[in-house]
Amino acid sequence: MDDSDYAIVVENLTRTFSSHHNGNPKKVAVDGISFTVKKGEIYGILGPNGAGKTTTIKMLSTLLIPTSGKATILGLDVTDEKNVRTLRNRINVVSGGERGLYYRLSGRQNLEFFADLYNIPKKKQKKLIDDLLELVELTDAADIKTENYSRGMKQRIHIAHALINDPEILYLDEPTIGLDPEISKEIRSLIRKLSDGGKTIILTTHYMFEAEELCNHMIIMSGGKIVGKGNVTDIKNSISNSSSIRVVTEREPVFAIESIRTQMNADSKVTKLLNGRFVTKFTIPIEYNDLSMYENIFRQYNIKNIGVEEITLEDAYLALVGDGEE
Amino acid sequence: MSFRAVKAGFRQQAIQFITDPQWIIPSLILPFLFTMVMLFIYRDVTGPIVLQAVLGGGVLGMWANTLFASSFTIAYDRMNGTFEPMLCSPTRIFDILLGRSLWNAFIGLLNAILIFIVAELIFGTGLSLMNPIGFFFMLILTLFSLSSVGMLISTSFVFTRMGSFFSSIFEYPIYVLSGALVPITMLPTSLQYISYILPPAWGIDAMKYSAIEGYESMMGVSVYTDILVILILSALFLMASFLVMSKVERRILSDGSATRY
Ligand SMILES: Nc1ncnc2c1ncn2[C@@H]1O[C@H](COP(=O)(O)OP(=O)(O)OP(=O)(O)O)[C@@H](O)[C@H]1O
Ligand SMILES: [Mg+2]
Repeated sequence: MDDSDYAIVVENLTRTFSSHHNGNPKKVAVDGISFTVKKGEIYGILGPNGAGKTTTIKMLSTLLIPTSGKATILGLDVTDEKNVRTLRNRINVVSGGERGLYYRLSGRQNLEFFADLYNIPKKKQKKLIDDLLELVELTDAADIKTENYSRGMKQRIHIAHALINDPEILYLDEPTIGLDPEISKEIRSLIRKLSDGGKTIILTTHYMFEAEELCNHMIIMSGGKIVGKGNVTDIKNSISNSSSIRVVTEREPVFAIESIRTQMNADSKVTKLLNGRFVTKFTIPIEYNDLSMYENIFRQYNIKNIGVEEITLEDAYLALVGDGEE
Repeated sequence: MSFRAVKAGFRQQAIQFITDPQWIIPSLILPFLFTMVMLFIYRDVTGPIVLQAVLGGGVLGMWANTLFASSFTIAYDRMNGTFEPMLCSPTRIFDILLGRSLWNAFIGLLNAILIFIVAELIFGTGLSLMNPIGFFFMLILTLFSLSSVGMLISTSFVFTRMGSFFSSIFEYPIYVLSGALVPITMLPTSLQYISYILPPAWGIDAMKYSAIEGYESMMGVSVYTDILVILILSALFLMASFLVMSKVERRILSDGSATRY
């Protein structure tokens, strides 16, 4: 793959903080992480509180200089002071939450202030800001002071603000935290829309379904280290290379069990339910989890239900994070 | 430098000021009360001392606005969570602060004018300014020089959330050392040397020069020397604050203090 296909290349990135206040002099917030993000991807960073997600985002968005290691953003080295201003024109960040707005200014005035900081000519600002307000559905509330905005409206104005320079890379630090399910859903579909529009998106989240729904690839961090990496399937597989199948039949599947043992070398466990049906469970290597094959094998026993008992992302996450924390 | 960012700082500060009445107290009412107290103390005195009192109030008003308000805006940004987005933009913090300082200088000017008018109308101080136009010109220059000192002190707010500690330390000494409270010649000699490197001291000297007939200027120099020194010193202060600010901006990225408040 060509270098220019990558939006972000991170190698051995480390950040320590000196904390004079408590006993230990150095806190390693991010500990030698490496990963790559392709252009146009939605890339997830997952991990428990204090895992180093925000610290990573800050380093990749020029707000924090790494202690060691390397990060190349859009082909530019973040640690090189010369690149900082160029990069800031091409990326943006949504840190979100309740803070980060001038409360006495309206949503529109907030956007105008930041448009000026990105040196966008006044002539272009009007249309740009109108378009952004429409995108985040705040047109009607544009001229109300942001101190009167609800949490969801604040988050949407944050997103509009982060789009003001039409960034190639957008960092979203917990974009749906503290929002109700409906608004979270809207924000997620907005993120999807931005991604479809070609932006590379880096997203941190504590919600597994959000990562599963949005992210093409992800890393799971724990204690500053990467403990899991890949797409959702990779992450699940990284704790187990197998999947388990569960079949409910009307009659005891004697021959089916036999053929699974001989063909897949897998043992089955059969339990009889109170209503007289039989539940058969067996674990096979992940590449054999094609259900149609098992439908054939079990057909003569009258299948009532068949499915893959999935290892969920949450199962994998908890296992990985648990390992990381020791 | 981005002119648009300077304007943005100016405008944002203006809206913030107009919509948030709490600023009126430190920036308009306090200096005004201060002048009234001074005038009350000196109510039986006439001549240059009254001028000194009114000047003191006017300069305090300007100083309070240029230093306190400008530098505090960054502390506000830190608390408010807007410091990081500001830093994240390609604009220099210096430009934004400069714009804000210009607005605050404008409020400082209004404040000084208000003080002079009230002193004249209500207290009838009979400030017969020898050269009113020259005086006004010197007032603007002094304001500019105060802003340049304010900008340098503001860098401490960018550097640390303890910024208010520094500005509190410097606010009154600079006020006194500039000769706003009492004439510089009344200060101990060693302190007078510090006065000479502060541009507002020369500004206040020039203001007195254009107000009082036969005023013996600081170090016996002509008013044109005063003006020249103000311009040079203010430019030096501005340049220093630009350089320090750039260093500080880089520094907070490496020590990770940008996001704490
Ligand atoms: N500026 C700082 N100074 C000192 N320590 C810091 C600083 N920023 C972060 N840390 C420490 O680094 C570690 C990682 O913090 P970080 O904010 O990156 O975690 P996170 O994964 O974003 O957590 P959360 O899910 O709670 O947001 C924490 O232990 C935190 O205390
Ligand atoms: Mg975080």
